[in-house]
Amino acid sequence: MDTEDLELSDEEEEITADVVLKTIQNLWQNERLSPEILPHRNDMVECMLGQIQHMERNINKLPKTDLRASIHKMELNRIKYIICNYLKTRLDKIEKYCITIVNDEKQRTESGTNYLTPSEFRYAQEYLLSIEHHLKETILNRVPGNMQAFEINKMAIVPALQSHVFLKANETVNGIVLEDHFGDQDEEIDLEEGSQHILQYKFIADLVKNGKVQLV
Amino acid sequence: MDPYEIEFIGENRIASIIPNFSYDKIYLICGEFGPFRAGLPMNVPLWLAVMLKQKQKCRIVPPDWMEIDNLENIKEEEKRSRFFTKMPHEHYMVEAKLILGAASEDIPNASEIKTIIKDIWDIRMSKLRTSMDALMKSGGSYGRLDHLTMMEINSVKPLLPSAMNELLKIQMTSKKSTSATLNSSTFSQSGTSQNM
Repeated sequence: MDTEDLELSDEEEEITADVVLKTIQNLWQNERLSPEILPHRNDMVECMLGQIQHMERNINKLPKTDLRASIHKMELNRIKYIICNYLKTRLDKIEKYCITIVNDEKQRTESGTNYLTPSEFRYAQEYLLSIEHHLKETILNRVPGNMQAFEINKMAIVPALQSHVFLKANETVNGIVLEDHFGDQDEEIDLEEGSQHILQYKFIADLVKNGKVQLV
Repeated sequence: MDPYEIEFIGENRIASIIPNFSYDKIYLICGEFGPFRAGLPMNVPLWLAVMLKQKQKCRIVPPDWMEIDNLENIKEEEKRSRFFTKMPHEHYMVEAKLILGAASEDIPNASEIKTIIKDIWDIRMSKLRTSMDALMKSGGSYGRLDHLTMMEINSVKPLLPSAMNELLKIQMTSKKSTSATLNSSTFSQSGTSQNM
């Protein structure tokens, strides 16, 4: 694990803008199509935002009627759309699965495998506090004392990991076990590179996170 | 995802244009393109091709697969095969729609081409409906769908995954109730997988 991380940060130094863009586009697509929140890739987002700023400064130097300026602007708008939509999708999930995400994230932070960026985590916690505050203000404080407890875990919405998703294999992965939920008839399948499947998300959640499959 | 988002993704494909102006290389984030030489064909992303076409700064060169002979072959092959055949590429429908929409005067026989592509799409969609029906009837929770393009997959998205989710729920509740009454778990589930 450690060596993998090191290698990754080495590569980042030389990674080209178009590779970053492709990566972000795949992240966006996965985030849109997976039922749960995925590990953040703030490094990629920050890198692209830097590129955009740099590009915007250069565009400002061009005359307004220059054809190149409008081409660059159009490209930047396309990229901004992807980034905005990616971040918004994450925020939507954070709000929807707030309690589950905050609980899971606390455990993940302890083991150093956090999925949220620090600001997303802060947002999640504050959102949860506001909900709690709101419910206390409007209802709980006005009902008999024995019903006033705020039972947070009863309110938790859990992402439907058993829901079916479409995916394409980026590389061959053999021996995916499709557990039968009754335990009597497990099935095993192979994902060949480039092949496409529909199956329950929970069987391939790890493969989405490590990039071996792409949701479509 | 919405169809316009699939179109957005498809717009990153490279298309060939013939510009009517000359310009230096342009360095975009997604790569470098050019130099633009009036009258000489060159490659740009599809979104740029459409934009330049709208500004009347280029002609779009139709891709090789968008020729009547090629399309007829694809159509015949699609009719003959029980399975889905491999399309020219992942975003054939988006590319066809954008190019025919923005630059139909640059494409010889544009209306015939449009009809054949629509036929191919229709054959594939009817196959897709049949396969989905078979998959649901077999009670499956897994299917393989090679060669289906993103737009095709997306067109069944509201329906197929949620139908499969519901089926799973029904199976689970019926399982629970039978095992509760019979105290056994011999419900066999045959054919949980289906090739599409």
